[in-house]
Amino acid sequence: MSGKLLRGFAVLACRALLAALPAQQQSWGLAIRREIADIPDGGDALLFALSSAWGLVPGAIAAHARCPRRLMILCAFAAVTLGIVYMMIAGAPDSYLFKNAGALAIGLAIVLFIGRLDIDHPQRVGMIIMGAAIALLATALLGQAAEGAVRWVSLVGVALQPSLIFLPVMMVAYSRTQAPLATAGVMIAAIALALQPDRAMAGMLVVGLTVIAALRPDRHVIAVLAVGLAGFAVTLVRPDSLPTAPFVDQILYSSFGVHPVAGMAVLCGLAFLLVPAIIGWVRDTANAVTYATFGGVWFAAVVAAAVGNYPTPIVGYGASAIIGYAICLLALPKSSKAERRDRYLMAGAA
Amino acid sequence: MVLSVLLNARGAWSYGYELARLADVKSGTLYPLLIRLASQGYLEAEWQPPSDSGRPPRHGYRLTAIGVRLAQTNPPVKRAVTNSYRPEAAI
Repeated sequence: MSGKLLRGFAVLACRALLAALPAQQQSWGLAIRREIADIPDGGDALLFALSSAWGLVPGAIAAHARCPRRLMILCAFAAVTLGIVYMMIAGAPDSYLFKNAGALAIGLAIVLFIGRLDIDHPQRVGMIIMGAAIALLATALLGQAAEGAVRWVSLVGVALQPSLIFLPVMMVAYSRTQAPLATAGVMIAAIALALQPDRAMAGMLVVGLTVIAALRPDRHVIAVLAVGLAGFAVTLVRPDSLPTAPFVDQILYSSFGVHPVAGMAVLCGLAFLLVPAIIGWVRDTANAVTYATFGGVWFAAVVAAAVGNYPTPIVGYGASAIIGYAICLLALPKSSKAERRDRYLMAGAA
Repeated sequence: MVLSVLLNARGAWSYGYELARLADVKSGTLYPLLIRLASQGYLEAEWQPPSDSGRPPRHGYRLTAIGVRLAQTNPPVKRAVTNSYRPEAAI
């Protein structure tokens, strides 16, 4: 590998570190970036940057842990960056790198524009879940077909998979409100995924519902879980013979064949996806069901990518999962209990 | 070792890469340590003008007065020789 390329990776690692560091430590990130420029050997520069990131990122995660939304943005950024590192090493076309980076920007722009779903208005959330479910049903009936599967829609020349965009946020929102309209929406989504058919997404729906049913048993959830299981069974029976897409499917294994650094980038990127769920589960017990559902659905996506020809979320090429991960922010709690307590104490002190 | 290197600099500014090399520590160990030392008032961290014109400033580090005292009271511990010959093992 050329020294220039190694230096490029070092600069990329520094940028990711700068994005991760809290505001009061930004100057340290800039200091590392500045040191990199003076290290004559590209390999040494990369080792210096990676080692610095390894030492500082745990502290940065801890600093962001009190705000789940900030932590999730950080994890999304880290996972997308590691995915880009993998694709650069594996020789993916440049357009793939730009599309993944662009997808994160689009996802975060959507979050910035919409803000968050108002869970205090279950009817409104139910309508949004129903709207997303109808979009999945429309995809199954009118979407682009390939090898017998109908999972995609074409938007300005880009093929998107609506289930990867809408289903995770639907499940996270459903973990917070099981209003009748929301329940009906999730049932329609289960039917849509059976029609497409999409084992990975049907499995994601079942895992999400199982988590909710286990932690917050409710007759609505049990009913929709039964429909979800039936839908998943249908996807298992129907043929699913899509070929492996390069840089998208099966990269969990193939990346290590490309280069150990590429393999580690994929593995660490996938681990980052689950960090908000683990930290949220531990620190914000009031919203543990929501974080468990979030972790469950993304873990299901990772498992599906490991066992079949399904997109490897965020680290593989594909905009849909990146947008889907980012817009999960809409349904996550705005602040954790710890952060709310800190604000209360600060207000009291003032 | 980091404190010792900073102490030996005798008030001159040190920089990240050379500090890591001289103290023989990884940058992932060095920076969290520097951040902790600076937050506790043992270390000054400042952007220093470059020696060559046209280069951007560098982040320099040097011990404060209490940092010097800390370094003097905590001399570096000599590293254990891991591959030393153990006579009892040869019995």
